[in-house]
Amino acid sequence: MKITLSIPTINDYTTADFDALFNLWNQANNDNMDVTFELSQCEFLRHNAVAFLGGLARLIEERHGKVTFDWPTLKNNWLRTNLAQNGFMAAFGHSSGPWSGNSIPYREDKFLDKNNMMDYLKIMWLGRGWVHVSEQLRNAIVGRVWEIYDNAFMHAQSSIGIFSCGQHYPRHHELKLTVVDFGVGIPSNVRLFFRDDPRAKSLSAANCLKWAFQRGTTTKPNGTSRGMGLDLLKEFVKINKGKLEIFSHEGYALIDETQEIFMNRQTFFEGTLVNISFRCDESYYHLASEAPDEPLF
Amino acid sequence: MKLDIYELIGENCITLEDGQKIYDRIHPKLLAGHIVELDFARVGVYASPFFNAAIGQLLKDIKAEDLNRLLKVLNLVPADRTALKLVIENSKQYYSDENFRKAQDEVLLEQAENQ
Repeated sequence: MKITLSIPTINDYTTADFDALFNLWNQANNDNMDVTFELSQCEFLRHNAVAFLGGLARLIEERHGKVTFDWPTLKNNWLRTNLAQNGFMAAFGHSSGPWSGNSIPYREDKFLDKNNMMDYLKIMWLGRGWVHVSEQLRNAIVGRVWEIYDNAFMHAQSSIGIFSCGQHYPRHHELKLTVVDFGVGIPSNVRLFFRDDPRAKSLSAANCLKWAFQRGTTTKPNGTSRGMGLDLLKEFVKINKGKLEIFSHEGYALIDETQEIFMNRQTFFEGTLVNISFRCDESYYHLASEAPDEPLF
Repeated sequence: MKLDIYELIGENCITLEDGQKIYDRIHPKLLAGHIVELDFARVGVYASPFFNAAIGQLLKDIKAEDLNRLLKVLNLVPADRTALKLVIENSKQYYSDENFRKAQDEVLLEQAENQ
C-alpha cells in the first residue's frame, strides 16, 4: 500500500503539536506500507518533530515499507536550513549538511554506547557556549538527562532504537531535547509487571505514569534496587525551573516548578516520547548539597 | 583497599554494568570486614543505575552501620553526594521494607479498582 502524508507545521507549544505527530504515526502504523512525506504545508518543525519523524521513518522501514521525504516540496528556506544543519536531511537521502549551528544534531541510537551518547549531551547539546553553566552543573544536567536514555534502553524494547534531537532557542533562553522510542510504552510495562493481579488490566495510562515517577518503583524484577532515575530527573527539573513532558499510550505527564500533572488524553501513541526544557543560565540553578561529614548510610 | 574509579570506569559512571564491576570488587572485601575507599576524583557524570549497582545493593547483606564504618567515599562533589544519598535511602527501604513497596503497589492497583 502506498500513501502520501502531508507534514504540517509542528511546534512543541501545546499537546496539539504532539497530537499532529501521533496522528502521522497512526496513519503509517502498518506493515508493508510505502510512505511519502510531503512538506509543502510545513513552515517549521521543532526538535520534537524531527526526532519523532526520524523514528517513524525507521519504524516504517523496519516493517518492510519504503519511506521517501519529498524534499523538493519543502519550500520554506528557514526550515530547509534547519533540517540540513541538524543532519536530518542527510539521514534521509539528501546531500545537504550537517553543519554546526543552533540546531543540536538529529541522532539515532540503536544500541547503548554510553561514551558516544555522553559526548553528544556534553558537547553537542550543552557544550556549545550557549549555556552558561559550570562544569559541575553541566555534569549534573547530563547525568539527570541520561536517566531518560537509560529508561528507554532498559524498558522500551524498541527494536529500532532511540531517537533524539535538541534545539537551542536563544530568544527564550531555553535548551530543549526530545528523546523518543517506538517500543511498548510505560503503561504496558507497568500492567505487565502487575499481570498476576486481575486489577492490572484496568490501570489507566495516567496512573501508570504516576507510579513510574514515584521513588523506588520499578518494573524490573527482584534483584538490585532501582527506580530512582525518573524521580531524580523530576526533582532536578522542579528545582531548576525546567519542564518535563512525557507521552506514552494515552498517558501524559507534565512536570515543572509548580505542578505535576498526570492525565489521560484522547490520542494514543504506543511508544514513549520525552520532551525536556532547561534554562540557559546558571543563575536559575540550585544544586542541593549534602553535608560531607554526614554518614552516607 | 582503595579503588580509583576513574581508572576502572572512566569519567562517566552511569550504567548498571559499570556499577556491578565496582560492586563485585568491593563486596567480598566489605563482607570480610576490610576498609574500602572509593576515590571518585576526575569522574564527571553519575547516574542512578551506577550508584544502585555499585553501592545501593551492598545493603542487601551488609548493615548500614557497618558500611558507614568500612566504606569511604572520596572526592564526590556535594550534588553527586546528595544523589548517592537518595539512592542509598531508596536501597535501604528496598532491601529492608518489602511492605513499603507492596503498599505503593497496592495504592496503584486500588486506583484501577476505582476507575
